[in-house]
Amino acid sequence: MSKIRGLIRGAAKTTLLRNILGLLKPSKGSVQLSSKNRMGEKLVVGYVSQQVASFNAGFPSTVLELVQSGRFQRGKWFKRLDKEDKEHVRRSLESVGMWEMRHKKIGELSGGQKQRISIARVFSTDPDLFILDEPTIGMDVHSRNEFYKLLKHNSTEHDKGILMVTHDHEEIRHYANKHIELIRKEDSPWRCFSMDSCKELSKLHF
Amino acid sequence: MEMFFYGFMQRAFQASFLISLIAPILGLFLVLRRQSLMADTLSHVSLAGVALGLLIGINPTWTNILVVIIIAILLEFLRQIYRTYSEISIAILMSVGMAVALVLMEIGAGRTTLSVTQFLFGSIVTINKEQIWMLLGLTIIIGLLYLIYQKPMYVLTFDEETAFTVGLPIKMMSILFNVLTGVTIAVIMPIVGALLVSAIIILPAAISLRLSKSFYGVILNGMVIALVGMLSGLVASYELGTPPGASITIILMLIFAVITLAKYMLHYLKFDRLFNKSQG
Repeated sequence: MSKIRGLIRGAAKTTLLRNILGLLKPSKGSVQLSSKNRMGEKLVVGYVSQQVASFNAGFPSTVLELVQSGRFQRGKWFKRLDKEDKEHVRRSLESVGMWEMRHKKIGELSGGQKQRISIARVFSTDPDLFILDEPTIGMDVHSRNEFYKLLKHNSTEHDKGILMVTHDHEEIRHYANKHIELIRKEDSPWRCFSMDSCKELSKLHF
Repeated sequence: MEMFFYGFMQRAFQASFLISLIAPILGLFLVLRRQSLMADTLSHVSLAGVALGLLIGINPTWTNILVVIIIAILLEFLRQIYRTYSEISIAILMSVGMAVALVLMEIGAGRTTLSVTQFLFGSIVTINKEQIWMLLGLTIIIGLLYLIYQKPMYVLTFDEETAFTVGLPIKMMSILFNVLTGVTIAVIMPIVGALLVSAIIILPAAISLRLSKSFYGVILNGMVIALVGMLSGLVASYELGTPPGASITIILMLIFAVITLAKYMLHYLKFDRLFNKSQG
Protein backbone atom coordinates (compact mmCIF):
# COMPACT_ATOMS: atom_id res chain seq x y z
CA MET A 1 0.00 0.00 0.00
CA SER A 2 1.27 3.37 -0.90
CA LYS A 3 1.50 6.04 1.69
CA ILE A 4 -1.30 8.38 0.73
CA ARG A 5 -2.67 10.88 3.08
CA GLY A 6 -5.79 12.03 1.41
CA LEU A 7 -8.10 14.82 2.22
CA ILE A 8 -11.40 14.99 0.50
CA ARG A 9 -13.58 18.01 0.31
CA GLY A 10 -16.51 19.08 -1.78
CA ALA A 11 -19.75 17.28 -2.36
CA ALA A 12 -20.66 13.63 -1.77
CA LYS A 13 -17.57 12.96 0.35
CA THR A 14 -19.26 10.62 2.75
CA THR A 15 -20.80 8.72 -0.14
CA LEU A 16 -17.37 8.20 -1.60
CA LEU A 17 -16.01 6.88 1.70
CA ARG A 18 -18.97 4.61 2.15
CA ASN A 19 -18.44 3.20 -1.32
CA ILE A 20 -14.80 2.55 -0.55
CA LEU A 21 -15.77 0.73 2.63
CA GLY A 22 -18.39 -1.34 0.88
CA LEU A 23 -21.24 0.12 2.92
CA LEU A 24 -22.71 1.31 -0.36
CA LYS A 25 -22.54 -0.39 -3.72
CA PRO A 26 -21.58 1.93 -6.58
CA SER A 27 -24.17 1.97 -9.36
CA LYS A 28 -21.37 2.27 -11.91
CA GLY A 29 -17.71 1.45 -11.67
CA SER A 30 -15.94 -0.49 -8.98
CA VAL A 31 -13.92 0.01 -5.85
CA GLN A 32 -10.69 -1.78 -5.28
CA LEU A 33 -9.08 -2.00 -1.93
CA SER A 34 -5.94 -4.05 -1.46
CA SER A 35 -6.70 -7.10 0.62
CA LYS A 36 -3.15 -7.32 1.96
CA ASN A 37 -0.98 -4.74 3.67
CA ARG A 38 2.70 -4.12 2.89
CA MET A 39 3.80 -7.00 5.07
CA GLY A 40 1.49 -9.36 3.19
CA GLU A 41 -0.91 -9.64 6.12
CA LYS A 42 -4.64 -9.03 5.90
CA LEU A 43 -5.37 -5.33 5.46
CA VAL A 44 -7.04 -3.84 8.52
CA VAL A 45 -9.22 -0.78 8.00
CA GLY A 46 -10.26 1.51 10.82
CA TYR A 47 -13.34 3.60 10.16
CA VAL A 48 -14.73 6.52 12.15
CA SER A 49 -18.06 7.53 10.70
CA GLN A 50 -19.48 11.00 10.80
CA GLN A 51 -22.35 10.06 13.09
CA VAL A 52 -20.45 7.69 15.31
CA ALA A 53 -20.26 10.27 18.06
CA SER A 54 -24.02 10.59 18.08
CA PHE A 55 -24.42 6.85 18.71
CA ASN A 56 -26.97 5.46 21.05
CA ALA A 57 -26.76 7.87 23.96
CA GLY A 58 -27.87 5.14 26.32
CA PHE A 59 -25.48 2.46 25.10
CA PRO A 60 -24.35 0.92 28.36
CA SER A 61 -20.60 0.80 28.14
CA THR A 62 -17.66 2.35 29.87
CA VAL A 63 -15.07 4.23 27.84
CA LEU A 64 -12.60 1.44 28.51
CA GLU A 65 -14.97 -1.29 27.28
CA LEU A 66 -15.60 0.62 24.07
CA VAL A 67 -11.96 1.29 23.29
CA GLN A 68 -11.08 -2.32 24.11
CA SER A 69 -13.62 -3.41 21.51
CA GLY A 70 -11.25 -1.95 18.92
CA ARG A 71 -8.87 -4.82 19.70
CA PHE A 72 -11.46 -7.53 18.99
CA GLN A 73 -10.85 -7.51 15.25
CA ARG A 74 -7.17 -8.20 15.91
CA GLY A 75 -7.95 -11.88 16.34
CA LYS A 76 -9.55 -11.38 19.73
CA TRP A 77 -13.18 -12.16 18.92
CA PHE A 78 -13.00 -15.34 20.93
CA LYS A 79 -9.90 -14.77 23.03
CA ARG A 80 -9.10 -12.79 26.11
CA LEU A 81 -7.27 -9.51 25.64
CA ASP A 82 -3.64 -9.87 26.68
CA LYS A 83 -1.07 -7.43 28.01
CA GLU A 84 -0.21 -6.14 24.56
CA ASP A 85 -3.87 -5.39 23.83
CA LYS A 86 -4.26 -3.56 27.13
CA GLU A 87 -1.13 -1.56 26.38
CA HIS A 88 -2.52 -0.54 22.98
CA VAL A 89 -5.78 0.50 24.60
CA ARG A 90 -3.97 2.55 27.24
CA ARG A 91 -1.81 4.36 24.70
CA SER A 92 -4.79 5.04 22.43
CA LEU A 93 -6.73 6.58 25.28
CA GLU A 94 -3.74 8.59 26.40
CA SER A 95 -3.12 9.88 22.89
CA VAL A 96 -6.55 11.50 22.83
CA GLY A 97 -6.30 12.57 26.47
CA MET A 98 -9.12 10.35 27.71
CA TRP A 99 -7.26 7.84 29.92
CA GLU A 100 -8.49 9.53 33.11
CA MET A 101 -12.08 9.18 31.91
CA ARG A 102 -11.83 5.47 31.20
CA HIS A 103 -14.37 4.39 33.82
CA LYS A 104 -17.00 6.89 32.73
CA LYS A 105 -20.15 5.76 30.96
CA ILE A 106 -19.94 6.77 27.32
CA GLY A 107 -23.42 8.31 27.40
CA GLU A 108 -22.24 10.86 29.99
CA LEU A 109 -19.52 12.29 27.76
CA SER A 110 -19.78 15.48 25.75
CA GLY A 111 -19.94 15.38 21.97
CA GLY A 112 -16.25 16.20 21.58
CA GLN A 113 -15.27 13.56 24.12
CA LYS A 114 -17.38 10.94 22.33
CA GLN A 115 -15.59 11.86 19.13
CA ARG A 116 -12.24 11.40 20.84
CA ILE A 117 -13.05 7.97 22.27
CA SER A 118 -14.34 6.86 18.86
CA ILE A 119 -10.97 7.86 17.48
CA ALA A 120 -9.18 6.13 20.36
CA ARG A 121 -11.16 3.00 19.53
CA VAL A 122 -9.81 3.05 15.98
CA PHE A 123 -6.27 3.80 17.20
CA SER A 124 -6.44 0.81 19.51
CA THR A 125 -7.19 -1.40 16.50
CA ASP A 126 -3.91 -0.21 14.98
CA PRO A 127 -5.23 -0.40 11.40
CA ASP A 128 -3.18 -0.15 8.20
CA LEU A 129 -5.65 2.30 6.71
CA PHE A 130 -7.59 4.92 8.62
CA ILE A 131 -10.80 6.10 6.99
CA LEU A 132 -12.03 9.12 8.88
CA ASP A 133 -15.20 11.03 8.11
CA GLU A 134 -14.96 14.53 9.57
CA PRO A 135 -13.19 13.34 12.70
CA THR A 136 -12.44 16.80 14.06
CA ILE A 137 -16.00 18.07 14.34
CA GLY A 138 -16.47 19.46 17.82
CA MET A 139 -12.73 19.81 18.52
CA ASP A 140 -11.12 23.14 19.30
CA VAL A 141 -8.12 24.47 17.35
CA HIS A 142 -5.63 23.10 19.86
CA SER A 143 -7.00 19.54 19.91
CA ARG A 144 -7.33 19.61 16.13
CA ASN A 145 -3.66 20.40 15.74
CA GLU A 146 -2.71 17.73 18.28
CA PHE A 147 -4.87 15.29 16.36
CA TYR A 148 -3.25 16.12 13.03
CA LYS A 149 0.19 15.70 14.57
CA LEU A 150 -0.87 12.31 15.84
CA LEU A 151 -2.06 11.32 12.37
CA LYS A 152 1.12 12.61 10.80
CA HIS A 153 3.14 10.58 13.28
CA ASN A 154 1.12 7.47 12.41
CA SER A 155 1.68 8.03 8.74
CA THR A 156 5.39 8.87 8.78
CA GLU A 157 6.59 6.68 11.64
CA HIS A 158 4.25 3.73 11.31
CA ASP A 159 3.48 3.87 7.58
CA LYS A 160 -0.26 4.07 8.06
CA GLY A 161 -2.51 5.19 5.24
CA ILE A 162 -5.01 7.88 6.09
CA LEU A 163 -8.02 8.94 4.10
CA MET A 164 -9.94 11.74 5.69
CA VAL A 165 -12.91 13.93 4.94
CA THR A 166 -12.59 17.35 6.46
CA HIS A 167 -13.54 20.98 6.23
CA ASP A 168 -10.39 22.43 7.79
CA HIS A 169 -8.47 22.48 4.51
CA GLU A 170 -6.36 25.44 5.56
CA GLU A 171 -5.19 23.90 8.82
CA ILE A 172 -4.37 20.56 7.32
CA ARG A 173 -2.48 21.89 4.33
CA HIS A 174 0.86 21.35 6.12
CA TYR A 175 0.04 17.79 7.03
CA ALA A 176 -1.61 16.14 4.04
CA ASN A 177 0.19 14.82 0.99
CA LYS A 178 -2.74 14.93 -1.28
CA HIS A 179 -6.06 16.67 -1.56
CA ILE A 180 -9.04 15.38 -3.40
CA GLU A 181 -11.83 17.72 -4.29
CA LEU A 182 -15.16 16.54 -5.57
CA ILE A 183 -17.04 19.06 -7.64
CA ARG A 184 -20.34 18.90 -9.33
CA LYS A 185 -22.18 21.60 -11.16
CA GLU A 186 -25.83 21.07 -11.82
CA ASP A 187 -26.51 18.94 -14.90
CA SER A 188 -22.90 17.95 -15.30
CA PRO A 189 -21.16 14.73 -14.36
CA TRP A 190 -18.90 14.41 -11.35
CA ARG A 191 -15.42 15.72 -11.71
CA CYS A 192 -12.61 14.93 -9.44
CA PHE A 193 -9.71 17.21 -8.73
CA SER A 194 -6.49 16.33 -7.12
CA MET A 195 -4.75 19.30 -5.65
CA ASP A 196 -1.33 18.17 -4.68
CA SER A 197 0.16 19.98 -1.80
CA CYS A 198 3.43 18.11 -2.01
CA LYS A 199 6.09 17.92 -4.66
CA GLU A 200 5.47 14.50 -6.07
CA LEU A 201 2.83 14.31 -8.73
CA SER A 202 0.28 11.65 -8.26
CA LYS A 203 -2.63 10.32 -10.17
CA LEU A 204 -5.98 9.48 -8.72
CA HIS A 205 -7.15 5.93 -8.75
CA PHE A 206 -10.77 6.24 -7.82
CA MET B 1 -44.46 -21.90 53.23
CA GLU B 2 -46.86 -24.56 52.05
CA MET B 3 -46.67 -23.44 48.41
CA PHE B 4 -43.23 -25.02 47.99
CA PHE B 5 -44.77 -28.46 48.62
CA TYR B 6 -46.90 -28.31 45.51
CA GLY B 7 -45.33 -29.80 42.40
CA PHE B 8 -46.85 -27.14 40.16
CA MET B 9 -45.38 -24.35 42.28
CA GLN B 10 -41.95 -25.97 42.26
CA ARG B 11 -42.06 -26.12 38.49
CA ALA B 12 -43.25 -22.53 38.32
CA PHE B 13 -40.27 -21.45 40.42
CA GLN B 14 -37.87 -23.48 38.28
CA ALA B 15 -39.28 -21.92 35.11
CA SER B 16 -39.10 -18.40 36.60
CA PHE B 17 -35.49 -18.95 37.57
CA LEU B 18 -34.53 -20.05 34.06
CA ILE B 19 -36.47 -17.25 32.37
CA SER B 20 -34.74 -14.74 34.65
CA LEU B 21 -31.39 -15.87 33.28
CA ILE B 22 -32.39 -15.62 29.60
CA ALA B 23 -34.62 -12.56 29.56
CA PRO B 24 -32.05 -9.84 30.40
CA ILE B 25 -29.55 -11.09 27.80
CA LEU B 26 -32.07 -11.04 24.97
CA GLY B 27 -33.77 -7.98 26.38
CA LEU B 28 -30.64 -5.85 26.41
CA PHE B 29 -29.79 -6.64 22.79
CA LEU B 30 -33.40 -6.06 21.73
CA VAL B 31 -33.52 -2.68 23.47
CA LEU B 32 -30.18 -1.54 22.08
CA ARG B 33 -31.04 -2.68 18.57
CA ARG B 34 -34.31 -0.74 18.87
CA GLN B 35 -36.29 -3.90 18.51
CA SER B 36 -38.10 -3.86 21.86
CA LEU B 37 -41.38 -4.33 20.06
CA MET B 38 -40.09 -7.32 18.12
CA ALA B 39 -40.69 -9.51 21.15
CA ASP B 40 -44.30 -8.37 21.14
CA THR B 41 -44.68 -9.08 17.42
CA LEU B 42 -43.18 -12.52 17.72
CA SER B 43 -45.44 -13.38 20.63
CA HIS B 44 -48.49 -12.48 18.55
CA VAL B 45 -47.17 -14.49 15.63
CA SER B 46 -46.53 -17.23 18.12
CA LEU B 47 -50.26 -17.46 18.75
CA ALA B 48 -50.73 -18.29 15.08
CA GLY B 49 -48.08 -20.99 15.41
CA VAL B 50 -49.90 -22.54 18.34
CA ALA B 51 -53.25 -22.35 16.54
CA LEU B 52 -51.72 -24.07 13.51
CA GLY B 53 -50.38 -26.89 15.65
CA LEU B 54 -53.74 -27.38 17.36
CA LEU B 55 -55.51 -27.36 13.99
CA ILE B 56 -53.38 -30.01 12.32
CA GLY B 57 -52.94 -31.99 15.50
CA ILE B 58 -49.19 -31.66 16.02
CA ASN B 59 -47.63 -30.62 19.33
CA PRO B 60 -48.18 -26.83 19.14
CA THR B 61 -44.72 -26.11 20.56
CA TRP B 62 -43.05 -27.42 17.41
CA THR B 63 -45.30 -25.71 14.86
CA ASN B 64 -44.90 -22.60 16.94
CA ILE B 65 -41.11 -22.71 16.86
CA LEU B 66 -41.19 -23.28 13.11
CA VAL B 67 -43.60 -20.42 12.39
CA VAL B 68 -41.71 -18.02 14.65
CA ILE B 69 -38.37 -18.86 13.03
CA ILE B 70 -39.79 -18.10 9.57
CA ILE B 71 -41.24 -14.80 10.77
CA ALA B 72 -38.05 -13.85 12.59
CA ILE B 73 -36.13 -14.21 9.32
CA LEU B 74 -38.80 -12.28 7.44
CA LEU B 75 -38.58 -9.51 10.03
CA GLU B 76 -34.93 -8.94 9.28
CA PHE B 77 -35.66 -8.53 5.57
CA LEU B 78 -38.51 -6.14 6.25
CA ARG B 79 -36.21 -4.22 8.58
CA GLN B 80 -33.75 -3.81 5.69
CA ILE B 81 -36.46 -2.69 3.27
CA TYR B 82 -37.95 -0.07 5.59
CA ARG B 83 -34.62 1.00 7.02
CA THR B 84 -35.82 4.39 8.25
CA TYR B 85 -39.19 3.19 9.50
CA SER B 86 -38.30 -0.16 10.97
CA GLU B 87 -41.46 -0.14 13.13
CA ILE B 88 -43.51 -0.77 9.98
CA SER B 89 -42.40 -4.38 9.82
CA ILE B 90 -43.44 -4.81 13.43
CA ALA B 91 -46.86 -3.25 12.90
CA ILE B 92 -47.54 -5.38 9.82
CA LEU B 93 -46.50 -8.69 11.30
CA MET B 94 -48.14 -8.12 14.67
CA SER B 95 -51.59 -7.57 13.19
CA VAL B 96 -51.21 -10.29 10.56
CA GLY B 97 -50.02 -12.77 13.19
CA MET B 98 -53.00 -12.05 15.40
CA ALA B 99 -55.42 -12.21 12.48
CA VAL B 100 -54.10 -15.56 11.28
CA ALA B 101 -54.25 -16.92 14.83
CA LEU B 102 -57.88 -15.91 15.21
CA VAL B 103 -58.88 -17.39 11.85
CA LEU B 104 -57.07 -20.67 12.52
CA MET B 105 -58.62 -20.95 15.96
CA GLU B 106 -62.09 -20.35 14.57
CA ILE B 107 -61.57 -23.08 11.97
CA GLY B 108 -60.26 -25.45 14.60
CA ALA B 109 -62.93 -24.59 17.16
CA GLY B 110 -64.58 -27.68 18.54
CA ARG B 111 -61.68 -29.93 17.67
CA THR B 112 -59.64 -29.01 20.69
CA THR B 113 -60.22 -28.25 24.32
CA LEU B 114 -57.37 -25.74 24.51
CA SER B 115 -58.55 -22.16 24.35
CA VAL B 116 -57.05 -18.91 23.11
CA THR B 117 -57.20 -17.36 26.54
CA GLN B 118 -54.82 -19.97 27.88
CA PHE B 119 -52.17 -18.78 25.46
CA LEU B 120 -53.08 -15.12 25.65
CA PHE B 121 -52.60 -14.96 29.38
CA GLY B 122 -50.35 -17.93 29.95
CA SER B 123 -50.38 -20.22 32.92
CA ILE B 124 -47.08 -20.52 34.66
CA VAL B 125 -48.73 -22.79 37.25
CA THR B 126 -49.78 -25.40 34.69
CA ILE B 127 -46.44 -26.06 33.04
CA ASN B 128 -45.25 -29.62 32.73
CA LYS B 129 -41.87 -31.34 33.09
CA GLU B 130 -41.26 -31.32 29.34
CA GLN B 131 -41.51 -27.53 29.22
CA ILE B 132 -39.02 -27.20 32.07
CA TRP B 133 -36.52 -29.40 30.25
CA MET B 134 -37.00 -27.40 27.09
CA LEU B 135 -36.47 -24.18 28.98
CA LEU B 136 -33.34 -25.61 30.62
CA GLY B 137 -31.94 -26.62 27.22
CA LEU B 138 -32.69 -23.19 25.83
CA THR B 139 -31.05 -21.46 28.81
CA ILE B 140 -27.89 -23.50 28.31
CA ILE B 141 -27.83 -22.75 24.57
CA ILE B 142 -28.36 -19.02 25.06
CA GLY B 143 -25.82 -18.90 27.90
CA LEU B 144 -23.18 -20.63 25.78
CA LEU B 145 -23.89 -18.54 22.67
CA TYR B 146 -23.68 -15.41 24.76
CA LEU B 147 -20.36 -16.40 26.31
CA ILE B 148 -18.91 -17.28 22.90
CA TYR B 149 -20.27 -14.37 20.88
CA GLN B 150 -20.38 -11.55 23.41
CA LYS B 151 -17.65 -9.55 21.69
CA PRO B 152 -19.08 -9.67 18.16
CA MET B 153 -22.52 -8.90 19.58
CA TYR B 154 -21.13 -5.94 21.53
CA VAL B 155 -19.72 -4.42 18.34
CA LEU B 156 -22.87 -5.23 16.34
CA THR B 157 -25.12 -3.51 18.88
CA PHE B 158 -22.77 -0.56 19.24
CA ASP B 159 -22.91 0.32 15.56
CA GLU B 160 -23.85 -1.86 12.61
CA GLU B 161 -21.67 0.06 10.17
CA THR B 162 -18.64 -0.30 12.39
CA ALA B 163 -19.44 -4.00 12.66
CA PHE B 164 -19.61 -4.26 8.87
CA THR B 165 -16.30 -2.50 8.32
CA VAL B 166 -14.50 -4.77 10.76
CA GLY B 167 -15.74 -7.69 8.72
CA LEU B 168 -18.51 -9.17 10.85
CA PRO B 169 -21.29 -11.01 8.97
CA ILE B 170 -23.90 -8.57 10.22
CA LYS B 171 -26.83 -9.87 8.22
CA MET B 172 -26.27 -13.44 9.34
CA MET B 173 -25.79 -12.35 12.95
CA SER B 174 -29.00 -10.30 12.91
CA ILE B 175 -31.00 -13.16 11.46
CA LEU B 176 -29.63 -15.71 13.91
CA PHE B 177 -30.30 -13.36 16.78
CA ASN B 178 -33.90 -12.90 15.61
CA VAL B 179 -34.30 -16.65 15.27
CA LEU B 180 -32.99 -17.23 18.78
CA THR B 181 -35.34 -14.58 20.12
CA GLY B 182 -38.17 -16.25 18.23
CA VAL B 183 -37.45 -19.69 19.62
CA THR B 184 -37.22 -18.28 23.14
CA ILE B 185 -40.55 -16.53 22.78
CA ALA B 186 -42.15 -19.66 21.35
CA VAL B 187 -41.01 -21.58 24.44
CA ILE B 188 -41.83 -18.88 27.00
CA MET B 189 -45.15 -17.77 25.47
CA PRO B 190 -47.35 -20.62 26.77
CA ILE B 191 -45.84 -20.09 30.22
CA VAL B 192 -46.22 -16.35 30.75
CA GLY B 193 -48.74 -15.57 28.03
CA ALA B 194 -48.56 -13.80 24.68
CA LEU B 195 -49.57 -10.47 26.15
CA LEU B 196 -46.76 -10.37 28.70
CA VAL B 197 -43.85 -12.07 26.97
CA SER B 198 -42.32 -8.83 25.84
CA ALA B 199 -42.78 -7.17 29.23
CA ILE B 200 -40.89 -9.97 30.91
CA ILE B 201 -38.09 -9.89 28.35
CA ILE B 202 -37.74 -6.12 28.02
CA LEU B 203 -38.44 -4.74 31.52
CA PRO B 204 -35.47 -6.23 33.44
CA ALA B 205 -33.03 -4.99 30.81
CA ALA B 206 -34.72 -1.59 30.68
CA ILE B 207 -34.53 -1.19 34.47
CA SER B 208 -30.95 -2.40 34.58
CA LEU B 209 -29.94 0.10 31.88
CA ARG B 210 -30.56 2.85 34.41
CA LEU B 211 -28.38 1.21 37.03
CA SER B 212 -25.14 0.05 35.48
CA LYS B 213 -22.62 1.82 33.37
CA SER B 214 -20.93 -1.20 31.88
CA PHE B 215 -22.32 -3.61 29.32
CA TYR B 216 -21.80 -6.73 31.41
CA GLY B 217 -23.07 -4.95 34.51
CA VAL B 218 -26.40 -4.36 32.79
CA ILE B 219 -26.83 -8.03 32.03
CA LEU B 220 -25.86 -9.19 35.54
CA ASN B 221 -28.05 -6.61 37.27
CA GLY B 222 -30.83 -7.46 34.83
CA MET B 223 -30.71 -11.09 35.95
CA VAL B 224 -31.00 -10.10 39.61
CA ILE B 225 -33.91 -7.77 38.83
CA ALA B 226 -35.67 -10.40 36.74
CA LEU B 227 -35.21 -12.96 39.49
CA VAL B 228 -36.58 -10.67 42.20
CA GLY B 229 -39.48 -9.59 40.00
CA MET B 230 -40.44 -13.07 38.83
CA LEU B 231 -40.16 -14.84 42.17
CA SER B 232 -41.99 -12.17 44.14
CA GLY B 233 -44.59 -11.94 41.38
CA LEU B 234 -45.14 -15.65 41.64
CA VAL B 235 -45.52 -15.52 45.41
CA ALA B 236 -47.91 -12.58 45.13
CA SER B 237 -49.90 -14.46 42.52
CA TYR B 238 -50.15 -17.51 44.78
CA GLU B 239 -51.11 -15.52 47.87
CA LEU B 240 -53.54 -13.13 46.21
CA GLY B 241 -54.85 -15.39 43.47
CA THR B 242 -53.89 -12.92 40.73
CA PRO B 243 -52.71 -14.00 37.24
CA PRO B 244 -48.96 -14.81 37.42
CA GLY B 245 -47.77 -13.05 34.25
CA ALA B 246 -49.61 -9.87 35.11
CA SER B 247 -48.41 -9.92 38.73
CA ILE B 248 -44.81 -10.30 37.59
CA THR B 249 -45.16 -7.44 35.12
CA ILE B 250 -46.68 -5.13 37.73
CA ILE B 251 -43.94 -5.93 40.24
CA LEU B 252 -41.25 -5.26 37.61
CA MET B 253 -42.99 -1.97 36.87
CA LEU B 254 -42.94 -1.11 40.60
CA ILE B 255 -39.21 -1.91 40.75
CA PHE B 256 -38.71 0.42 37.80
CA ALA B 257 -40.64 3.20 39.55
CA VAL B 258 -38.79 2.75 42.86
CA ILE B 259 -35.37 2.72 41.19
CA THR B 260 -36.14 5.78 39.09
CA LEU B 261 -37.37 7.63 42.14
CA ALA B 262 -34.41 6.53 44.27
CA LYS B 263 -31.96 7.63 41.60
CA TYR B 264 -33.64 10.98 41.36
CA MET B 265 -33.58 11.44 45.14
CA LEU B 266 -29.93 10.43 45.39
CA HIS B 267 -29.02 12.84 42.67
CA TYR B 268 -30.98 15.57 44.37
CA LEU B 269 -29.44 14.89 47.80
CA LYS B 270 -25.90 14.81 46.45
CA PHE B 271 -26.49 18.01 44.60
CA ASP B 272 -27.94 19.54 47.74
CA ARG B 273 -24.88 18.62 49.82
CA LEU B 274 -22.50 20.07 47.27
CA PHE B 275 -24.52 23.21 47.19
CA ASN B 276 -24.36 23.59 51.00
CA LYS B 277 -20.64 22.94 51.05
CA SER B 278 -19.92 25.62 48.52
CA GLN B 279 -21.92 28.06 50.58
CA GLY B 280 -20.39 27.23 53.94
